[in-house]
Amino acid sequence: MPKGEALGEFEYLVMLAVMRLGADAYGMRVRQEIAARTGRDVTIGAVYATLERLVEKGLLSASLSEPTAERGGRAKRSFVLTGVGMEAANRARRDLESMLDGLEFPLPGGPR
Amino acid sequence: MKPPALARFLLLAVAGEHQAEFVAGDLHEEFLLLCAARGRPAGSRWYVGQVLRSAATLLGMRFRSGEAAHLVAAAVLAVAMPLLLLDRLWRFVYSQIPLKDGLERAPGFWAANLICVCVCAAVCGSLASSVHRALGVALASAAAAACALWWGAAATPTVIAGLVIAAAPVSSLAVFAWRRLR
Repeated sequence: MPKGEALGEFEYLVMLAVMRLGADAYGMRVRQEIAARTGRDVTIGAVYATLERLVEKGLLSASLSEPTAERGGRAKRSFVLTGVGMEAANRARRDLESMLDGLEFPLPGGPR
Repeated sequence: MKPPALARFLLLAVAGEHQAEFVAGDLHEEFLLLCAARGRPAGSRWYVGQVLRSAATLLGMRFRSGEAAHLVAAAVLAVAMPLLLLDRLWRFVYSQIPLKDGLERAPGFWAANLICVCVCAAVCGSLASSVHRALGVALASAAAAACALWWGAAATPTVIAGLVIAAAPVSSLAVFAWRRLR
């Protein structure tokens, strides 16, 4: 795999959130999903910067919806994983599982 | 129910034209949910916090897309450059008058700087094609004015510096609004 194509930790979290949300994957929902599952106080700016980067890498594709009143008359941009994105997510999972294989948790010396 | 106006303006000023629509829409949606669940003050605090913490990231995205480069170039050429040139001119004028070199500048010179900034920023604002761009121009012209004052040879009195930095975005937005109303 060429350098720069590997997924960063936050990129992976965003991709997993997009997979979980399915058709309802847009900035606010992605932010809420990550916050609810990881407890991180993520900003909308960080989420959009990552989504944009993943679209540029070809791992996500984006589509626009019609503006709605509950969004202050603004359109929504939804995201979905591409085939390349699905491959990258699977590869990242394999890499992580391979690295975790054989390790015992909690790690010695770490918080229990 | 609308989110705090200043935070909304800041968001539109820093986010790229492409991103501002979705980011503002997402924040608005969550703001309404929070207001319903925890009340308006909590919703407003959350909104302002999100905008402030996202501002640098959104500005970075705008720079990477090349959109901010145009605004910065316009602000530097139209606001910072004339201010710096005026500063050089006043320094030259003072150097030509015996015993005046190095003295504090007379109020008339600062007034000329202020008028120059107002006119230049107004020209910039009149060229903006949308509210979003006008807010970007206003923010960039204020930053350009601040940089030019900081870079200038003479130490600017705080009141004058504040006036110049505030006058740049105000005149830019005022001319944009006047053009729109016409």
